[in-house]
Amino acid sequence: MSKTAELLPGTLDMLILKAVSLKPLHGYGVLLRIRQISNDALEIPQGSLYPALYRLEHHNLIASEWGQSENNRRAKFYTLTPAGRRRLRDETAGWNRLARAIAAALNTTSEEV
Amino acid sequence: MFGRVRSLFRVFTRRRDFEEGMSEELRFHIEQYTDDLVRSGMSREKAARVIRAELGSPLNIKADCREAFGVHFFDEFRRQLSYAVRLLRKTPAFTVTALLTLAVCFGANLTIFAVIDSVLLRPLPFPEPDRLMMIFNTYPKAGVDRDGSSLTNYYERRGRIPALASLSIYSYGTEIVGEPGSTERLQTMRVSADFFSTLGLGPAIGRTFTDEETTYETDQVAILSDAFWRQRYNADPGMIGKQIRVNSVPRTVIGVLPPSFRFLSSDARVFLPLASRPEERAPSRRHSGGNVIQMIARLQPDATLTQAQSEIDAQNAALEVDDPQAKMIADAGFRSLVVPLRADHVAAARPTLLLLEAGVLVLFLIGAVNLVNLLLIRASARIKELAVRQALGAGWRYLVSEVVVETTLLTFAGGLLGLAVGAGGIQLLRGLGADRLPLGSHTVFDARLALVGLVAAIVMGIVFALPVACFHLRRHLGNALQSESRGGTGGHGAQILRHSFLVSQIALAFVLLAGAGLLGLSLQRVMAVSPGFQSDHVLTGQILLPWADYSEAGRLKFAESLMDKLDHLPGVLSAGVVNNVPFSGNIGKSATTIAGHVRRPGESARGHYSYGVAGDYFRAMGFVLREGRFLAADDSRRSERVCVVDEDFARYYWPHASAIGQRLWDGSEAGKDAEGFTIVGVVGGVKQAGLTENEAQGAIYYPYAFRIGDSVFVAVRTSLPPESLALTLQKVVRQIDADVPVSDLRSMDIRIADSLVARRSPALLAGLFSGVALLLTSIGTYGVLSYAVAQRRREIGLRMALGAQPGQIRVQFLSLSLRLLIVGTVLGLIGAWQAGRAMRSLLFQVPPLNVAVLAGATCVTALVCLAACLLPSQRAARISPMETLAEE
Repeated sequence: MSKTAELLPGTLDMLILKAVSLKPLHGYGVLLRIRQISNDALEIPQGSLYPALYRLEHHNLIASEWGQSENNRRAKFYTLTPAGRRRLRDETAGWNRLARAIAAALNTTSEEV
Repeated sequence: MFGRVRSLFRVFTRRRDFEEGMSEELRFHIEQYTDDLVRSGMSREKAARVIRAELGSPLNIKADCREAFGVHFFDEFRRQLSYAVRLLRKTPAFTVTALLTLAVCFGANLTIFAVIDSVLLRPLPFPEPDRLMMIFNTYPKAGVDRDGSSLTNYYERRGRIPALASLSIYSYGTEIVGEPGSTERLQTMRVSADFFSTLGLGPAIGRTFTDEETTYETDQVAILSDAFWRQRYNADPGMIGKQIRVNSVPRTVIGVLPPSFRFLSSDARVFLPLASRPEERAPSRRHSGGNVIQMIARLQPDATLTQAQSEIDAQNAALEVDDPQAKMIADAGFRSLVVPLRADHVAAARPTLLLLEAGVLVLFLIGAVNLVNLLLIRASARIKELAVRQALGAGWRYLVSEVVVETTLLTFAGGLLGLAVGAGGIQLLRGLGADRLPLGSHTVFDARLALVGLVAAIVMGIVFALPVACFHLRRHLGNALQSESRGGTGGHGAQILRHSFLVSQIALAFVLLAGAGLLGLSLQRVMAVSPGFQSDHVLTGQILLPWADYSEAGRLKFAESLMDKLDHLPGVLSAGVVNNVPFSGNIGKSATTIAGHVRRPGESARGHYSYGVAGDYFRAMGFVLREGRFLAADDSRRSERVCVVDEDFARYYWPHASAIGQRLWDGSEAGKDAEGFTIVGVVGGVKQAGLTENEAQGAIYYPYAFRIGDSVFVAVRTSLPPESLALTLQKVVRQIDADVPVSDLRSMDIRIADSLVARRSPALLAGLFSGVALLLTSIGTYGVLSYAVAQRRREIGLRMALGAQPGQIRVQFLSLSLRLLIVGTVLGLIGAWQAGRAMRSLLFQVPPLNVAVLAGATCVTALVCLAACLLPSQRAARISPMETLAEE
């Protein structure tokens, strides 16, 4: 547990959009993909995953379609919509700006003041 | 936004797919996860536990998903709706009372609104109807307020008033239409060539009249209304060019109007050119309107009414310069007034309708206040439940929406019932004469009205929810729980609110009752007025003789042979013929010149009612002979001209002498000596247009030969019930001429009663409204008092246990209601005074502040309210101390 980090509020949506942007995924796949791309460093609250997916779909950022899973089960696959793609781009840029700013702030030494 | 709505819609219509998909998705997730965990070496049981811990309850997830997807709103709404239905079914007495209250209030308001809508609100069915004006001549100082316009006015003004884009004239009439043997009498209009272009709506097929067709001899054309074309000619597409017979003269049909064509209240079926001879358009005929021809105009787009008025004034002034009658005309206060067509047409109905609208709004207010009070009482009964739910974490949003759903459900259902009541109400109003109002026959119950009603119902629901929601939210939780458990008296503020609502209800009902009383008393006073003749046992009917078939001599002969036949009928006491009977709805006054009468300074020539009579008209109508003799049958044929005047006429010109032997001329100038009439009799004055007319204008009765018009009324006094003679009368007329029908057959009593419809119906409706208002008020009083008693059961029980007598308890509650009643009545008195002042113009010989009416209203209100509190007070007095104390 020591190597996993709690998700910051609002970041789950961003991660879902990122995961879905790489390849259409079903809900469970989104969970696995986020674990994989974060090198198991992020713990996804599973109870929030589906409500988040439904919310994103309701806001037209992702779309869903029923299809076949790897082991031939019926599953609902999510894909990124154009609006979702724009949102992901904006959020990524915003996040990077924030992260850089915080990193810069935290790296400040006494000489630089 | 659009996407959201679409997804909501999708969810709403495919709700089951949504739920199944959600379950399947979660199942898939759990199974996949289990497989993965088992593959990593976990036992199935352990895996299930882990997943359960990480995922949480699938039910919660689903609820969160629904909310995220916007579906929860519908779920919640449905849940609250079924909860509201359950609650309302648990209290049937309240629900039924509320629904009936709403149904009556909505229904009454929709009904009156429908009439107001058609009469006062809906624009006339012509393009830019606001530019349409009515122009009429008035001679106020001669006692003639309204005289229509003359042909001369029309031809002089046409094209010469820059502010008017178009000007035209018309007259109403009835003509006999059809082939011999199958004729019928139809409403018609004669119109000038530009009539349809002034209105901006012309024939759907064919053409309008031309200017050449408004001259005699070349006017044998007609335009049909859509309804007549469909009913009589089966919508024959080849109708144009065919001939129809109007008053026995063939006319060529040149056009058919569109279905939407309706000119004011007219139900004209056939339109004919308003033809005239050049001499009828001469300047000397400028002031001979006689209220027959009316003038309408369309303003230029940028012109104003004031502009048109000043241009017409200027033209009138210029024309009067070389008019030999100029002085007399000026003395009469002559002016040609320009007024908006629609407002002018409905002006007479406006005050009554506004009064009824006010009455019905007050009724609505009473109903609304009543309901709010009942809802508040109901809310108090549920205080504990709601407090507990709030303590358990129910959010205020949820509680408010619950209240809104409940009240809106109630008002919506009430509104639906109200639509039914309104539809019935409109039928009732038709029976009460609403379709005789100007534009009143357009009153319909349509989708537009239903929409207005239902939207109002929903708004009402939300408004009703406000006080209830405030009541719940303002209360401190703990306080509510405590006060209820200890049986306290509840919030003081809520009690004041309830009581002031009840007081305002009493006051409003009082105002309605007093208003209805004033109207009723006025009606009674009007009915007590004598018409001046014996109206019982007289049958009257109108006979229209076509000019083409009947010359003046022919008309006289017709009248004489009719009299001859009628006199020999059994049951007929006397019969007579006249141009126009009183209360027929047609009025026209003519100028008269009196020999030797020198006008006093400022006095103008006066218009008088002038009639031609044949047969024994005076005895048939039961006129009173004051002096001299009645006209005799042979007066028409004698060379010496005689006439009879009424006492108002005689008193005006010869206040101190006898009128017998005096001479006068029919017209505004003294004619040749041989054309003068000698007065041979004075009869009692009669009411001509209505019982309430207060201006005795005076009337002259000439022998029929000297005043022959296009229609005659026959009056028959009989010993039988007058209506039973109707068929016989028609038969007799048909014996003389098979193509001449008798129309408008009514007894004089009925004519007088019909003339009172504008007073009777509002009085009746106001009575109805105040009856309902009293009922609502008694329900409100009962509700508030019952609640007060129920709330103080424990206190009463305790006091009785300590020795209080039942009588004391009863008096306590009766005095509470008496106090509320007194405050309500005092406020009501103030309101009634104001209402009386506002409706002064509709009252007849009744002051706005009538002691008898107010005393009566006070008594009735007091009786009803006290009766309503008897039962609750009695219940309070019967409370058993043992039971109430044991309840705790």
